[in-house]
Amino acid sequence: MKHLKPLNNKAQILEQAVAQDRVEEVVAMSAVAGCTATTDPGWEVDAFGGVSSLCQPMEADLYGCSDPCWWPAQVPDMMSTYQDWNAQASNSQDDWRNLGTVFPKDK
Amino acid sequence: MRTTRLRRHTSRLALIAAALLCTQVQAKEPGADLLQSKCMGCHTAEGNDSYSRISHQRKTPEGWLISIGRMQVMHGLQISDDDRRTLVKYLADKQGLAPSETEGVRYAMERRLNTVEQFDEKLSQTCGRCHSGARVALQRRPAKEWEHLVHFHLGQWPSLEYQALSRDRDWLEIALKEMVPDLAKRYPLDNPAWTDWQKTRPKAEVLLGQWAFSGHMLTKGDVRGEMTVSAGQGDAFKVQVEGTYADGTPFQGSGSAILYNGFEWRASVQIGDTAMRQVFAAVDGEMKGRMFEAEHDERGLDFTAVKEGKARLLAVQPAFIKAGSEAELTLVGSGLSGKPDLGPGIEVTQVLESSANQVRVKARAAADAAPGLREVSQGGLKGPSLAVYDKVEEVKVVPAFSIARIGENGGSTPKVQGRFEAEAWGKDAKGQPLRIGYLPAQWSVEPYTEKAREDEDVKFAGQMLENGIFMPAGAGPNPERRMMTNNAGNLKVIAQLEDGGQKGEGHLIVTVQRWNNPPLP
Repeated sequence: MKHLKPLNNKAQILEQAVAQDRVEEVVAMSAVAGCTATTDPGWEVDAFGGVSSLCQPMEADLYGCSDPCWWPAQVPDMMSTYQDWNAQASNSQDDWRNLGTVFPKDK
Repeated sequence: MRTTRLRRHTSRLALIAAALLCTQVQAKEPGADLLQSKCMGCHTAEGNDSYSRISHQRKTPEGWLISIGRMQVMHGLQISDDDRRTLVKYLADKQGLAPSETEGVRYAMERRLNTVEQFDEKLSQTCGRCHSGARVALQRRPAKEWEHLVHFHLGQWPSLEYQALSRDRDWLEIALKEMVPDLAKRYPLDNPAWTDWQKTRPKAEVLLGQWAFSGHMLTKGDVRGEMTVSAGQGDAFKVQVEGTYADGTPFQGSGSAILYNGFEWRASVQIGDTAMRQVFAAVDGEMKGRMFEAEHDERGLDFTAVKEGKARLLAVQPAFIKAGSEAELTLVGSGLSGKPDLGPGIEVTQVLESSANQVRVKARAAADAAPGLREVSQGGLKGPSLAVYDKVEEVKVVPAFSIARIGENGGSTPKVQGRFEAEAWGKDAKGQPLRIGYLPAQWSVEPYTEKAREDEDVKFAGQMLENGIFMPAGAGPNPERRMMTNNAGNLKVIAQLEDGGQKGEGHLIVTVQRWNNPPLP
């Protein structure tokens, strides 16, 4: 990191986290069963075990990420498995209420 | 038509989660015939009752359900719900896991979704970035089958190679050359434990009869009572639950259950207005696992039960007493008789109630009783211990890490609540840490980080109720927040003991909903 300088806020937070030796904290949170640990960004937690660096509101760019199956375990992937998942919600920011769960709970 | 296809998939999958618990196994065809008629369109017979892919894997009932569901969604399998139930039962019995093969990873079946997993770095990075490591550890395959699974993942979700902890390395090479042999060794298809289990697996009838149970529901308290298991069809049962919480609230209801593979107990029980599920391992006259709400699996209780006829002391509720105080304690078990012995310094002053399954007593702990664990015994039975404490040294919030999720607000996903209790710890006479148990506390939340303070996460993410229940806020973009962000939050959960005022802290992430919620996380 010696020769790299953070250019934006997120990079600065990352540098701070490394400096504060908070790596273990990050690992603990992202290892909660079934929560994605993919850190760019994660679905439920970000690289720092928080939520402030997530893509939020997630509705703003949801399909930009579900199309290339970015969180296939949390969000139905629209590339291969659930191509019509958003058929009733073409604008995610306004129509998110029409998005359904693909493994609903028992009735 | 795309819309039609979506509807078709959705309606199929709507029934998948329910399928394991539906005990009306009214097979039109037996499992072996269904395998022929439903699976052989794609899979091929290899002779000697062996079929490509299918016969080279072993899984839990939930694992087989996910596989068949995947065949429906991804490969166009047409199968009725009844037939799928029959097929899951057939495969889970024929190619299941031995009880010992599920040890340590049952939390996934039990829906303990706040479990912080403890897998090695390689498995966590290769598999656990998207789903639980337990989903892997609950399968058994030879190397060739693990290899197929790697190829399937890359084919179905090709962008996985561009994800973090993947694009920085030769992911496919590592997955095929390192993970595959490793998994085949760790989780092999052929295992003596499975061979033995198939020989010794008891018949389902051994479960028929009366069971005494003990449990603890976070934020509600201890619960105890009796469960009656009566015969249904085949490996299906009727279940009657008659219990009460420690505070006197009834815990009663009835339902049905099915036994997979001689020990995987899955039941659906209506308790009052609430549909609950039971996911237990039933081995050697004992049932152990978790019972949770069907609609809110975060609300659940640890559950242990012992069958009548096998004298056993199961639990003491509560399992602690303060030196110099008097308390009412209840022993739970089967075949109980005689006066309980609670160990040195603890006197049973009165037996309030005594039955074969419960003995309720008044006990007094001497002011100078040495702090530490006492072995509780009753008529020669032993097992549970009672913590005697003099003062609380530390408070831990349970769970220490947890995830709550925003939901509802017109959307289809329910809110996932946080459920907390304050676990008190003291020191025994030797100065070693002594777990006391859950004590009443006052609850609050604070921002976990500066960023959470700036973003007013406490204000937006939800509400901590007085009983340790965190109720998340509504789903959707929030116009009142900066950048219309979601009501997510990074919170510190603070418990302050009502008696003594000691404080403990936990970490709660309030995050966005998920739409993919298969039986195994």
